[in-house]
Amino acid sequence: MRKIIAALDNSLAARAVLATAGNLAQLFDAEVEALHVGEDGDKVARGAAAAAGLQLQRVAGPTVPALVDAAAADDVAALVVGTRRLPVGGRPVGTTALDVITSLLKPVAVVPPDAVRRSALQRVLVPLEGTTVTSLAPKGIIELARDADLGVVVLHVHDAATLPAFTDQPQHQARAWADEFMARYCPWGIGNVRVELRVGRPAKEILAAAEETDAHLIVLGWSQEIDWGRAPVVRELLERGRIPVLLVPVRLIPTGDERREESWNRSQSSLA
Amino acid sequence: MDVAVVTGTHIGNVDGQLRARPAGPGRLYLCLNRGSEVFIVDERGPAVIHRRVPTETEEAALDAAALTTVAKLAERGLRAEIVSQRLNRRKIDVIPDPEWADPPKAKISELLAAVEGRLRSAGLDGLREVVLVAEEAARDAGLSDPKVTSDAKHVEIGLTDKADSARWVFAELWRRGIGPAQVLVAGDEFGPLGGLPGSDSLLLPPEAQRAVAVSVGREPTGVSPGVLALGGGPETFLALLRDQLERRRRGDLPEVDGDEAWTVFSRGFDPDLERVQSSLLTIADGVIGTSGSPVGSHPSARPRVLAAGLYDGEGSETELVSCPLWTRLDGELPHAMSFERQLDLHAGLLRQKLGRQPDLESILFSSLACPGTAVLRAKGVRALLESDEPLEAAEGTAVERGIVGGTTWARQRAGAGGLAVAAAERLEGDRLDRVATYVVDPTAVPDPEEALRRLEEAQEIGFDGLFAAHRRRWAERWETADIRIEGDDELQRLVRFALFHLMASAAETGEAAVGARGLTGPAYRGHVFWDGDVFVLPFLAATDPPAARAMLEYRIRRLDAARTAAAALGRDGARFPWESAGTGVDVTPSHAHDHAGGLVAIRTGELEEHIVADIAWAAGCYVDWSGDTAFATGPGRELFTETARYWASRIRLDPSGRAHIYGVIGPDEYHEAVDDNAFTNVMARWNLRRAAEAGCGAVPDAERKSWLELAAALVDGYDSETQLYEQFAGFNLLEPLVIADIAPHRPIAAELLLGRERTLGAQVLKQADVLMLHHLVPDEVAPGSLEPNLAHYEPRTAHGSSLSPAIHAALLARAGRLGRAVEALRLACRIDVDDLTGTTAGGVHLATMGGVWQALAFGFAGARASAGGLELDPRLPETWDALELRLAFHGYPVRIRIEQGALEIDADPAVPISVGGWLGRRFERRGEDWEEVRK
Repeated sequence: MRKIIAALDNSLAARAVLATAGNLAQLFDAEVEALHVGEDGDKVARGAAAAAGLQLQRVAGPTVPALVDAAAADDVAALVVGTRRLPVGGRPVGTTALDVITSLLKPVAVVPPDAVRRSALQRVLVPLEGTTVTSLAPKGIIELARDADLGVVVLHVHDAATLPAFTDQPQHQARAWADEFMARYCPWGIGNVRVELRVGRPAKEILAAAEETDAHLIVLGWSQEIDWGRAPVVRELLERGRIPVLLVPVRLIPTGDERREESWNRSQSSLA
Repeated sequence: MDVAVVTGTHIGNVDGQLRARPAGPGRLYLCLNRGSEVFIVDERGPAVIHRRVPTETEEAALDAAALTTVAKLAERGLRAEIVSQRLNRRKIDVIPDPEWADPPKAKISELLAAVEGRLRSAGLDGLREVVLVAEEAARDAGLSDPKVTSDAKHVEIGLTDKADSARWVFAELWRRGIGPAQVLVAGDEFGPLGGLPGSDSLLLPPEAQRAVAVSVGREPTGVSPGVLALGGGPETFLALLRDQLERRRRGDLPEVDGDEAWTVFSRGFDPDLERVQSSLLTIADGVIGTSGSPVGSHPSARPRVLAAGLYDGEGSETELVSCPLWTRLDGELPHAMSFERQLDLHAGLLRQKLGRQPDLESILFSSLACPGTAVLRAKGVRALLESDEPLEAAEGTAVERGIVGGTTWARQRAGAGGLAVAAAERLEGDRLDRVATYVVDPTAVPDPEEALRRLEEAQEIGFDGLFAAHRRRWAERWETADIRIEGDDELQRLVRFALFHLMASAAETGEAAVGARGLTGPAYRGHVFWDGDVFVLPFLAATDPPAARAMLEYRIRRLDAARTAAAALGRDGARFPWESAGTGVDVTPSHAHDHAGGLVAIRTGELEEHIVADIAWAAGCYVDWSGDTAFATGPGRELFTETARYWASRIRLDPSGRAHIYGVIGPDEYHEAVDDNAFTNVMARWNLRRAAEAGCGAVPDAERKSWLELAAALVDGYDSETQLYEQFAGFNLLEPLVIADIAPHRPIAAELLLGRERTLGAQVLKQADVLMLHHLVPDEVAPGSLEPNLAHYEPRTAHGSSLSPAIHAALLARAGRLGRAVEALRLACRIDVDDLTGTTAGGVHLATMGGVWQALAFGFAGARASAGGLELDPRLPETWDALELRLAFHGYPVRIRIEQGALEIDADPAVPISVGGWLGRRFERRGEDWEEVRK
């Protein structure tokens, strides 16, 4: 059976991490493995694991390499880590979380310590920026959610640079636009997902939409590059959000991906 | 197969040898007398269909030229004789010796050597110099363009030559939808002879580009580039003809002409763009429209067939139904194989080619000659040709099906009506032929028998007959509608692409419900807006009046629904809906989610009432261009009257006697529930005045008088000091915001950039509003007010409507800002091809395409029709060499060609035409003559 690894530190975030891991285990039809890395105390982690009916696994050594090694195993479907240790004060993303999400080629759920713990996922929010590469990453999650009868909301946010030139008759335009957006970037979701459009700063709108739609999880394809100026949306979601974010590296998509294969000779029109 | 015989000799000689009496369907043309005559030959024998008749002056000039030539040769010591005086030419024998009296073709080399020797002994530099002497003599005699040719023995001075024959043939074939690439030119004398071009080289004028040329002659000096030298003489020629017949017997796919100015190529396959490509490549005939999707299946493709006016659903959910597909083959579109689609705009054909062999090649068309009849011929690998049955129900639809004698039929209900379709196919070897006939009736469910009957008729005609009639009909439509832009190849292609979809979207009989995307896609649910009446209809009124009339018929048949809508509001007359579908009841949604995710109230159905006057304007436009008096005094008058009555009951008088229209939405839809919108008020004023004029003798005088009084009392927001119209009462008090200065780019959806609330409170426009008056009813606005209003409102316009760029192109052209006008026109042309709205997958923006035509016809050419005649006021951008339009005014074809410093008008003398502003002068035509009009 496949595993979801819940990376527990000795902080209050452990319970939220375990809850999200449990949710993902249901989605992936997997079991949760609670893992603690390090020589420091594990009382909180052990307590959280026990409360969840799990045996805490301990691994010694530097935290990030150990977590990455553990999660790299073939039978691991995803890793769940906490965003930071404390639910109060500033909201920086912890270095452990940052290092893990940028180095592990697996879906990683990053859970804020103050995330609401759910007994089961009800609704998933999938923001799509409108590129083929990033839209492919969450495909598998959308299909799992669809099969599990979860509500899936696909969200696209127009920012200042991508505002539509024309809106014509808004009572038809937004729907026509959304239909084609889905056909291009989420054909596997047509008929099974709800489409939401927003205008504004993407991270802000994603968080607002997550709240409005009562999403339990945000699923995002990303490039794993979070250096200064890169992936600002991911950084802000992790810093400001109170909802777990499942990050799916776009590098997981094989280069011979089926949709890319379908695109041969890149369409050229004499009118172009 | 058609055959044209081109020769220098006369009918008695040629017909005496051929004795052909073909029964058709192919045609035999005899192009004789070196380009001066054309005969068509059928079972009854030859009949002349074209003859170049010389004037007396030309006859005298030919005589003089021949005599002078002979005299000049005699001065050099060469005896030559004038041997015949044929139609339009004089023939001079330069070797009048008995031994060369009648040399056979086989002795051409010997004859040439003898002639050259004779000429050189007289000190002449061969035939070339004789020709030069003859040309000089002809010019001296007054012939500006003499045609001097030689067959070695003779030199002929004429008014025409074989090139005239060739041009006639290519023009005739073009008028029948046959392009030069579909023509085989065979001759035996393409190569130079005696230093002169071979006589058959004249068969390849520029119009013959892309034709296949072969020589079966000996060609002692070789052939010119591009000509295939086969040799073999008459036997090879006969083999060529036999091969052509064999190709037809085999049912080879017809060649598609690849003229880039008339062709849209789509190469490769991109799942992301596939639905856009399919919309762009839609083939339609006014009754049905079929997406240009691959005939093989692919998950990214959304093949569809839509039928005009066939709606289903309730209220705002009413939408065009998807109909059974006739194009599908069972084979999947294989990956990584070359794939090309080619849309021939001139002949209305879609060709698809899969694989390099190719593995599958197909030709598809939706017959413009027989609307509702769709034809597919495919050749290729058998596995790719097979299908379980020729019709496939659209996803999510319920159809009844049946098979009668091997023929499949299907019936689908929609609203109060439905469609019946019958289809048959024949798969023989590597060829599949499929025909489908659709019977569409929005008012009753058709009987499949009717579809089966039409199918039987189509099958009797056969592929070749259907194909020929279809491309001929397309060619006829282009003859009355084409626009040429010389000097801008990109715009030329884009404009023709727009005209193609405009022509394909409206039927010429019955009623034509032309939705926002025509028959090219399901977006906007196929609802009919002012897009059709104001943007599409003018093109049809000026190029294909029956189709414009059918569009008006759609409105006329829904007058009762419009009367009911007016009565429900306690008003008189007829109130047409902002969004219309099957019944004529308003189907505008009351709420919708916008791009910002908000649920917004949609008030256009309630408030965008200018649609009432827009429809009356469309009727006026049709009457002005067509001169259809039966319509003007019948249903047209009723339409004017009922719309005027609506306005009369809608307008309110204030205590000072000024008339107002409160609470409307103008074309600038960013501002809602405004009072005295200039566009609405002035259009209502125009409507009242036009109805008063049209109702003379039929509407009580007192009522007409009251309309005129109301019209005069209507406020329009014009300030004579500033020469500006205020868009609506209070517009000038809104936040003074110039969107051109603050937007990162235009066009832009300003309500998304600024937010809905700020947009409502700012002087920012979605599209032309006041300026739309200058475009539609220039006689209703203050003279000289275009420029100041354009300067004021254009920078405040976000152009967030796809209708905006084309109309601004027209306005900018009228204002003489031609560079900006061309930019706006190009943008309008690219809205669909670049998918600038992100919704072309749901169909092309037909109104934008209509706007493109209007920008060229009304804007650059300054064409305006009225009962008094046709007015032109041309403006040609520096970057264009010429703009040429074809129009129809009161049933007469009109061709207008505008060049830098020259204007050419080709029209029947019965068409009253005036030209204003041409090089600062004004002209009017009286009969055959033009007179300058001085103020």
